[in-house]
Amino acid sequence: AEKWHMPTPYGDGNLPTQIAYTFAQEIKDNTKGELDITVHSGGSLVKHTEIPRSVKTGQVQIGEVFLGILGNENPIYKHDNIPFLATSFEDAQKLWEAAKPEVSKQLDKDGMMLLYAVAWPAQSLYSEEPVNTLADLAGTKMRAYSPSTSRLADLMGTTPTTIQVPDIPQAFSTGIIQAMITSPSTGVDSQAWDYVNNYTDIQAWIPKNIIVVNKRAFRRLDKATQQVILDAAKHAEAAGWTKVAARAEKDKATLVENGMTVSDPSPALLKELQAIGKTMTEEWTAESPKDVGAILSRYQNGM
Amino acid sequence: MDMMWISIFLAVAMLVLLSLGVWVSFTLIAIGGLGLILSENYQVDLLFATSSWGASTAWSLTALPLFIWMGEVLFRTRLSEDLFKGLSPWLGNVPGKLLHVNILSCGIFAAVSGSSAATAATIGRMTLPELRKQGYSDRMAIGTLAGSGTLGLLIPPSIILIVYGVAAEVSIARLFIAGALPGLLLVSLFMGFTMIWGHLHKDELPKTTGHETSWSARIKGLRKLLPVVGLIGFVLGSIYGGITTPTEAAAIGVTGALILAACTGSLSRHSFMESLLGAVKSSCMIGFILVGAHFLTLAMGFLGIPKALAVWIAGMSLSPMELILYLTVLFVILGCFLDGISVVVLTVAVILPMVQAANIDLLWFGIFIVLVVEMSQITPPVGFNLFVIQALTGKNILYVAKAALPFFLLIGVAILLISIFPEIVTYLPTTMSQN
Amino acid sequence: MSQIKEKLYQCSGLLSGLCIVIITLLLLAQIVGRLFGFIVPSADDFAGYALASSTFLGLAYTFREGGHIRVTLLIQRFSPVPRKIQEGIILILSLGLLCYLSYACSYMVYESYIYDEVSYGYVPVPLWIPQMPVAIGVIALNLAILDAFIMVLRGKKPTYSEQEDALSLEEI
Ligand code: NA
Ligand code: NA
Repeated sequence: AEKWHMPTPYGDGNLPTQIAYTFAQEIKDNTKGELDITVHSGGSLVKHTEIPRSVKTGQVQIGEVFLGILGNENPIYKHDNIPFLATSFEDAQKLWEAAKPEVSKQLDKDGMMLLYAVAWPAQSLYSEEPVNTLADLAGTKMRAYSPSTSRLADLMGTTPTTIQVPDIPQAFSTGIIQAMITSPSTGVDSQAWDYVNNYTDIQAWIPKNIIVVNKRAFRRLDKATQQVILDAAKHAEAAGWTKVAARAEKDKATLVENGMTVSDPSPALLKELQAIGKTMTEEWTAESPKDVGAILSRYQNGM
Repeated sequence: MDMMWISIFLAVAMLVLLSLGVWVSFTLIAIGGLGLILSENYQVDLLFATSSWGASTAWSLTALPLFIWMGEVLFRTRLSEDLFKGLSPWLGNVPGKLLHVNILSCGIFAAVSGSSAATAATIGRMTLPELRKQGYSDRMAIGTLAGSGTLGLLIPPSIILIVYGVAAEVSIARLFIAGALPGLLLVSLFMGFTMIWGHLHKDELPKTTGHETSWSARIKGLRKLLPVVGLIGFVLGSIYGGITTPTEAAAIGVTGALILAACTGSLSRHSFMESLLGAVKSSCMIGFILVGAHFLTLAMGFLGIPKALAVWIAGMSLSPMELILYLTVLFVILGCFLDGISVVVLTVAVILPMVQAANIDLLWFGIFIVLVVEMSQITPPVGFNLFVIQALTGKNILYVAKAALPFFLLIGVAILLISIFPEIVTYLPTTMSQN
Repeated sequence: MSQIKEKLYQCSGLLSGLCIVIITLLLLAQIVGRLFGFIVPSADDFAGYALASSTFLGLAYTFREGGHIRVTLLIQRFSPVPRKIQEGIILILSLGLLCYLSYACSYMVYESYIYDEVSYGYVPVPLWIPQMPVAIGVIALNLAILDAFIMVLRGKKPTYSEQEDALSLEEI
């Protein structure tokens, strides 16, 4: 029997990790234990930023990674981090289908094979004060953790400020930042109601985790086992898209239950944000006109 | 079965290498490599490189060398002497006398630093030479430092509470507040013990003659404390005033210490270089041990030994109190060979579900875990406070461990107390949610 | 020859210290930046790289100064001849281990270089650059161990051991 190790970046409460467990179990069942994948959640085996390298070089056979962190390697990995490009799960799925060929090709070059992706609920705005138009955010400090979130903070008229994830609660309560953009799940995980009051459901973008396997490790398996993995991956991806929508609703409800003000964005705010989205999409295209252009035209022409 | 033999083999190999005088960091790396090979993982080179790179670039650790440097700078100023001069009129009549300086300073410094190694290193650098000079028992000076250094983890900010909070999805803000009362509890236990000890061992303490305890002397003493209090206040103020995050606060601390040294005329090119090289020596030593510990943790992850033990406990269907007892024993045993944070990281995925099933409050459990991890900081052979103090004093790890033993037991008492009165942990956080 | 060696050990310590100073400056810059509303791009990444460089570049200096911790309880009771044999044995073991680690870390740098690996943060940094000091530091430690081993072969007491003794005498 073959034993594989699968590091994942997030803890057991998160949807992608739960799907990873189901995925591993399905493979174990359908290969009658011939392939046994141990899931190491929450970065317990390999630190998040080291997971791509570990899979690439075969230190582990399979692993999960937040797609956006690969953005510096190639702009195509940023497709799900462009604000207001795809804001519904339906659009996000379309965008993913449009980006998949380029993403797979690039991963293949690096010795990895794409298995499946799991989306996160849409990223929305947490702020101390209610936000009706961008003018309400003027002069505040907003958390930024990447060039694109920093640019977004700029375009929204706020001052981008870097804060590490664990420091977020204290940063809010001591006034280092007044706003951030993240998913309702992250808000629930970190009990955002303890340190911030307003959640505006702007649905800026829908990021994903991807699960990749080392190509050589995959090829060494017999055809039947390979097929079991591919089938399980297909099921995992489908389960991901169905479950994430429910998860988003549940998490938003939890925010309300705990006393946060959850509101939809005003039409004025939406208009301002869509203009920002257009600017950022253009800037993204300029980074790699050919590949990004291909993804965009496929996405916009509805495949 | 197989795994049991592998565990025993690795533990024995570690003890043999250590007692042969092989450096601790080298031993951890060698055992990690051996563990990987035994788990039939032959890419030891790649795994070592990746894990070391990950371990040595961790953002949360950047504060460590800075705090150590801060201690080295302060040690070269009159500040440490002033700290004692200022406090001695206050503590001169208290049984145990200036030994309480260790406990109190660690407790206060813990509010600035998030790790126990940094707390023990910074405070110990200032207090140990002074206590020795005044003729206090080495053993008790070391014991109080080793014990109260661990407060760095319990009193917020705390690296381990952040690690646990992220893994267990418990609010870090709440965990930080929950740590405050148990921190005070621990400080009182340590001080109480020191008083009793001081009462029984008057011969091992210097005679009172040096300590004037009149009120005028006390007020005069307070003036001497101003610079130290000012420095700590400055750093705390910058955290709670929203200027820095706890990690960055270390930079403020070093800068403040350098400014103080310059103002008191004890900063020269020479003392600057000396303090910096002193910091290099300690932080390289700790840093490389962390690299080794991280690599050993990786091997344990592949082997699955800690996880298997946790699964074994999970299978016994224990009552909540029994569960806590078993987990304490498990953590203490694992904590002998792995560093505390690694123990949490490796076992949390298995342990949290059974803790939830037993209806144990996850917030309470976080504080419980910190207390057990604190214990593991002072158990040999792998205990970071022991390493720090060995580096400070040249005393053997076993000597330091023996000196720290009463405090190890006192932390055990604290665990017992928070198990009987969980409100010590949960009271403050519940006041948070009343808005 | 021994003067050059001395300089190299000094260099190891000073470079490591320089990295600690760099961390301090980076964190201060980030604090000041926040006050005045500018971002120091990737300050946390750079601080992490400086931390790794500081840890590894200072290994050789720390080794020679007897800064790396070990358990001396048992070996202190050995009489001079067995003690020399014991030091020889652990030095040769350590030498073997460190040769392997030198290879591992150098290979990591090489691999990052040929795969064009870049960091994930704000500024894409080619990873081989900050990884270089890690490899250099391990190799330097390797040489320091070799140096100590040669000393033991020549019948002298290794420097780290002298430092350890000095420390414990001072404290007893
Ligand atoms: Na602390
Ligand atoms: Na320990």
